[in-house]
Amino acid sequence: MASVLRNALKSIREKGIGNFVRGLREEGYLSALLDGNLMQTKIHNIGATLVGVDKIGNKYYEKLGDTQYGRHRWVEYAAKNRYNASQVPPEWHGWLHYITDHTGDELLLLKPKRYGIEHKENFSGEGDEYIYHSKGHTLNPGQRNWTRYQPWEPKKA
Amino acid sequence: MGLGQLASRALLRSSRLTTATRTSHFLRTIVSTPELHNSEVAAAQSQPEPDLPKRNPVGGARIHFPNPDDAIEVFVDGYPVKIPKGMTVLQACEIAGVDIPRFCYHSRLSIAGNCRMCLVEVEKSPKPVASCAMPALPGMKIKTDTPIAKKAREGVMEFLLMNHPLDCPICDQGGECDLQDQSMAFGSDRGRFTEMKRSVVDKNLGPLVKTVMTRCIQCTRCVRFATEVAGVQDLGILGRGSGEEIGTYVERLMASELSGNVIDICPVGALTSKPFAFKARNWELKGTESVDVTDAVGSNIRIDSRGPEVMRILPRLNEDINEEWISDKTRFFYDGLKRQRLNDPMIRGADGRFKTVSWRDALAVVAEVMHQAKPEEIVGVAGKLSDAESMMALKDFLNKMGSNNIWCEGNGPNPNADFRSGYIMNTTIGGLENADVFLLVGTQPRVEAAMVNARIKKTVRATNATVGYIGPAADFNYDHQHLGTGPQTLIELAEGRHPFWSALSNAKNPVIIVGAGIFERKDKDAIFSTVVAIAKNANAVRPGWNGLNVLLLNAAQAAALDLGLVPESNGSVESAKFLYLMGADDVNVEKVPDDAFVVYQGHHGDRSVYRANVILPSSAFTEKEGTFANTEGCAQTTVPAVPTVGDARDDWKIIRALSEVAGAQLPYDTLSAIRSRIRTVAPNLLHTDEREPATFSTSSLRPEIKEKMDMAPFETAVKNFYMTDSVTRASKIMAQCSALLLKK
Repeated sequence: MASVLRNALKSIREKGIGNFVRGLREEGYLSALLDGNLMQTKIHNIGATLVGVDKIGNKYYEKLGDTQYGRHRWVEYAAKNRYNASQVPPEWHGWLHYITDHTGDELLLLKPKRYGIEHKENFSGEGDEYIYHSKGHTLNPGQRNWTRYQPWEPKKA
Repeated sequence: MGLGQLASRALLRSSRLTTATRTSHFLRTIVSTPELHNSEVAAAQSQPEPDLPKRNPVGGARIHFPNPDDAIEVFVDGYPVKIPKGMTVLQACEIAGVDIPRFCYHSRLSIAGNCRMCLVEVEKSPKPVASCAMPALPGMKIKTDTPIAKKAREGVMEFLLMNHPLDCPICDQGGECDLQDQSMAFGSDRGRFTEMKRSVVDKNLGPLVKTVMTRCIQCTRCVRFATEVAGVQDLGILGRGSGEEIGTYVERLMASELSGNVIDICPVGALTSKPFAFKARNWELKGTESVDVTDAVGSNIRIDSRGPEVMRILPRLNEDINEEWISDKTRFFYDGLKRQRLNDPMIRGADGRFKTVSWRDALAVVAEVMHQAKPEEIVGVAGKLSDAESMMALKDFLNKMGSNNIWCEGNGPNPNADFRSGYIMNTTIGGLENADVFLLVGTQPRVEAAMVNARIKKTVRATNATVGYIGPAADFNYDHQHLGTGPQTLIELAEGRHPFWSALSNAKNPVIIVGAGIFERKDKDAIFSTVVAIAKNANAVRPGWNGLNVLLLNAAQAAALDLGLVPESNGSVESAKFLYLMGADDVNVEKVPDDAFVVYQGHHGDRSVYRANVILPSSAFTEKEGTFANTEGCAQTTVPAVPTVGDARDDWKIIRALSEVAGAQLPYDTLSAIRSRIRTVAPNLLHTDEREPATFSTSSLRPEIKEKMDMAPFETAVKNFYMTDSVTRASKIMAQCSALLLKK
């Protein structure tokens, strides 16, 4: 605990109090005061190894040794207020759920170039414009054109 | 023998078993045939089978005995059948209700007998006989389901499949393939073939027919069709044995207006439709039985559609009109239905640009302008593809507005609609087969009505009928005499000075066909009176035979004349202030005065839209129900196959709506109501699918014609066979055809 305080004071001295508070907020320490899940993750992180960071900034930690097997890998989400499990991209999903020991960075190399599409998190409940719409749905921007005729285009006669 | 018959026979036998056991159940024997132990039943069993279950002829085939003495009796699987002399064994089997598998035999083509699939066993014959080529003899005992016949079929099928590729999953014929069906029914369940299959280079037959020649089984149906029905000598057989190939000998296209029919006729997937290739599977398609409108023949067609698009068009059997063929234009113009469609009402603004508006606004504008025009300045023209209902509505509407200047394009400026016999084909298309001399006046049936031409070709081939032709030099696919180019020859014929006159006057059933292109001439009445004189001299019109015909060009013409769409005054387009074009694209829009207000109601942006002030989108013939009368006066109806496009509406509904906005409401709201209105004008249009012959003959009742004939030669009525109306002009396939096949 003393070392934590010493480090905090040191960084205040280096960055100034304003930057230090902004850093705290960005790292989620302020929201952790109200969010027990996040606080627990933060406490967990102490002494754990950072295995990787994915492209949206989720941090993947592992702690071997004194952790219960099956609880030794976890993620700290990049989003501190609105996080859910669908934010984990598929390449890290396997590692996080003990399906594989390959990290997401390794699996990313296997992603098919031609038809692999970007991961999107689940936007359910976030409004119609965010959620997934099937190809035929009116709200799908890349909606398929089902018109089977070509209309006559009036040109200036 | 069909599976159903096998099953019914098995059922009969089992029921006999059960009844037998029931009568003798107290015996309780342990043998498997208890009925034989009962003396009564055993006696009944030993007798020959009493009466066999009744069988019906295949496809409802009926036989006609020209001479009752010529009837002979043969036995098919023990069934006695009476057939006329000269029928083949295969036909006898069909009458007896047994469908013999076949590939090369086709009832409308000559007999080749080279596929050997139709082998049957005939008693006292040492080996199986090819039933399609063997004439039935009196007392012949034909057996179609014996082990020998079955083994023979299985062997033939094995040979046919030896060189047939196993590409049914990528073959367009898959699902409607004779070879597929018959190998399932008659083939072996395993093959013994381990060698390599032969390969054949594909032939280029043009933009319509796709060839995959490795699939060909050399039935030669296409070769026989080309020479016998289409009348072109393009296809032939090259090589012998395993080197045998169907081809054109030198690389060239199949230049026939009936070439699409080889697709239907091919029993395998060797000849398939090029525009339809890999577009759909036949079991995904919905078939709608309708009528073709691209020419005046009214060929019966089946429109195969998937969802909102027409995928292909196939012929439908109608012995009186198109038999089982259709022309290439009918078969392949369907892609024009998907291009250049008018889908929204539009109004031309002050800047000359079209603006999409609502129906309410468009109709309001039209009605307002219409009220400003004087009644005699209101002109209506019905297009080539108009149905009778919409023409009736248009005529009633314009009459209510005080105008009677309405006609159908193609009928000329001053059509003679007084006598129905003066504008229809009185002989009927099927009746042409009884003719022995044809005189074609200013008509080229090959391009104007390909199916009528096929009928003439059939007659010429069957009976060596003579054909005389007056008109510009033209390409015929049968022997003909080119008598002259203009009215001069007609005068010579009428006066009996022409060498062809002897053939015509000696003919038993002469047929004179006048082309509808003559309607456009100023001296058409004089020409018609000369033709009537020739017909009278040649005794072409008499009780029991009417050989005086007019061959119309467009689907709407006959119905328009039946409904009396005759303009009050000539040259009314030049003085029109309000012009209503109902799908009329061949009106000369340059003659329309600049201050005239033009309404175009139609389904394609073709020619007249560029002059239009208001565009009202209507539905094409595949999307609506409508009555069309063909050139022989036979009324037929189209049936909607696909939904309408965009905001388009049926023609008669638009006119009905417009009449209400204009304050001259038409008294009908439904199609049946409009048809009862037609009943008061032309009841023959309601007798669908049966031809109403014209009652009066024109020859005696016509007024004397004073005017002289113009000696200018006749002109070609149809310049381009493939592009005659707005739909065919929008079609890409038809454009390809006219680019490749009409090249001289």
